[in-house]
Amino acid sequence: MRLRRLFRTSVFQLTLVYMVLFAASVGALSLFIYWATLGYLERQTSATIEAEINGLYEQFERRGLAGLADIINERVQRDAERRSVYLLADAIGRPLAGNVGYWPPTLDVGAEWVDFTKREENGIETPVRAALLRVGPGFRLLVGRDIRELADIRRELRRASVYGVTLTLGLALIGGLFMALSAQRRLAELNRTARQIIAGDLSRRAAVKGSRDEHDELAININAMLDQIENLLAGMRHVGDSVAHDLRGPLTRLRNRLETVASAAEPRREDLAECVQQLDQVLETFNALLRIARVESGAYRSAFTAVDLGAIVRDVCELYQAAADEQRIALRCEHEAAVEVFGDRELLAQALTNLLDNAVKYTPRGGTVTVRLTRGGDTASLSVADSGPGIAEADRSRVLQRFTRLDQARSQPGNGLGLALVNAVTLQHHGRLTLGDNAPGLVVTLEVPALAPAVAPL
Amino acid sequence: MAFHRSSPLLGSTPSGVTDTVRILVIEDDKDVASFIRSGLVQAGCNVDHASNGKDGLFLATTEKYDALIVDRMLPGVDGLTVIRTLRASANATPVLILSALGEVDDRVKGLKAGGDDYLVKPFAFSELLARLEALVRRAKGAGDNQTTVLRAADLEMDLLRREVRRAGQPIDLQPREFQLLEFLLRHTGQVVTRTMLLEGVWDYHFDPQTNVIDVHISRLRSKIDRGFDRPLLHTVRGVGYRLDG
Repeated sequence: MRLRRLFRTSVFQLTLVYMVLFAASVGALSLFIYWATLGYLERQTSATIEAEINGLYEQFERRGLAGLADIINERVQRDAERRSVYLLADAIGRPLAGNVGYWPPTLDVGAEWVDFTKREENGIETPVRAALLRVGPGFRLLVGRDIRELADIRRELRRASVYGVTLTLGLALIGGLFMALSAQRRLAELNRTARQIIAGDLSRRAAVKGSRDEHDELAININAMLDQIENLLAGMRHVGDSVAHDLRGPLTRLRNRLETVASAAEPRREDLAECVQQLDQVLETFNALLRIARVESGAYRSAFTAVDLGAIVRDVCELYQAAADEQRIALRCEHEAAVEVFGDRELLAQALTNLLDNAVKYTPRGGTVTVRLTRGGDTASLSVADSGPGIAEADRSRVLQRFTRLDQARSQPGNGLGLALVNAVTLQHHGRLTLGDNAPGLVVTLEVPALAPAVAPL
Repeated sequence: MAFHRSSPLLGSTPSGVTDTVRILVIEDDKDVASFIRSGLVQAGCNVDHASNGKDGLFLATTEKYDALIVDRMLPGVDGLTVIRTLRASANATPVLILSALGEVDDRVKGLKAGGDDYLVKPFAFSELLARLEALVRRAKGAGDNQTTVLRAADLEMDLLRREVRRAGQPIDLQPREFQLLEFLLRHTGQVVTRTMLLEGVWDYHFDPQTNVIDVHISRLRSKIDRGFDRPLLHTVRGVGYRLDG
């Protein structure tokens, strides 16, 4: 079963294809060597035979048939290795001279080249290649060579080719299995981790070998993705818990009050009006949550245009001036003319409104709130500084999350969503929100990319 | 005008005008529809109701209404299509669009389709009534847009000279206070809510958490009412403000 699964892996299948291709090339190479080597040897043999038969024919022309027979016999005597084959025969095949006792029966007399097997007296069979020539009226001359070596070489080459291809296939198969197995092992690990995570154990992580190969890269990426998912889930859980906690209070109070009203002999209008007010608070929290979710989903992005932050600062400052005056807070507004950013006017105005709202809310009477808009290079920087109690450094990143309400803020009205919305708006504008120390007080700085200032006509 | 202020939230102001205001509510949610209907009937309106876009469109084109309340999400023909169809056939009846919480409350899209105002559910009935009244009044007084002087009792605003007088005495207003008073004067006798003011005067469409608008109103009040026997600018508790004529 395990093997069958292995055969299905893509690595193994790739190996098979590779193996076939490789074996085919080894085969082709062997074939080439076979043809080249044998062809050379055969041509050489043929050339030797041809030279010899031509030489003998010259002898025949010069010295006649008897002379030719003498030379042939002489050469047979000299050929100690018995590698050469000579035969001079008459028209019906009776030998006149040479070292073959009979005219080979299968021999076609019309051919120029023949291959045949010579049988010796002692029964040894020898393959022979030979050339034929007519000499004089009705006589035939056959000159050949023992080609046993050639046949041996051919056989050896064939065998080498077959072994080579087989060996290649075998090695490739073993290599493929090995590669497929190791790849399979890494993937099986990843799959096991994935299954454990699916089963509910989100803390599992893929093993990283440290080899920096593609499996490691995959494992690292998967781990990063899992971390992100775990963070998001934790965030969701936090929001869910907070929603439950934040709404349970007002909803419980509302329920109690309604029960009182329902059981009262004469329901009072004021009680009911207060119920509506409490319900409105709950709805407001819902609205704020939905708005943050919508901002984070990027729903407003498509409507982004060039927006003058300066105008927004002017508007919102003016909106809050009266409220600040009433609390004896000095609201100062410093802004450069026309700092344009790419964004949503409403969202940016609401972000600034939330910041100013906090600043005015937490600054004691006689304090100062300063709104400052500056442009540095291609960044628009909008800061709201107050002279209130400030936020301890340890709490600063926490207050940007939904529903965070610091202890000293609990006495003030609010739902803990104001800064979360500001943060969401900032992020949607590709900006950065930082909380700093105004010594004393808090300074919140919102930095977003600014559009290039319009070039004044010359 | 028959917006009788019998609603406890609005207090009671006898209107003294006899013609009944006819409103068509196109809304598929039965609860919301009956909530709006009973409230409007209590305010003295004559209310028709359609629970889908097709019926609503039929009623809107065959009958004469003073205003329509149209839900965005309707079975069959959706709200924006209803409005577009009406506008395409030169029907100028004022339309208040309702959009549910969590829906894409794209007010720009709604107003582009031909809506006159936009309200997100859930809403306070007083907010709906105030906006509806503003729409109906505006439609009826569409002709006198050319007026250059706005009046309420002995308060007078000259739009060309940008001057305000009460009982002949000049009152010095900041530009934003002037705009605020102009908006109130254009809605004399009607309740305007805080969000209506934020939209109409500041052109922002979100809800500021705190009472920033209240402070502006109290400043304006101190300028136009201080030293006079009869106060003109009233706070309608839990709803908004009203400038009496």
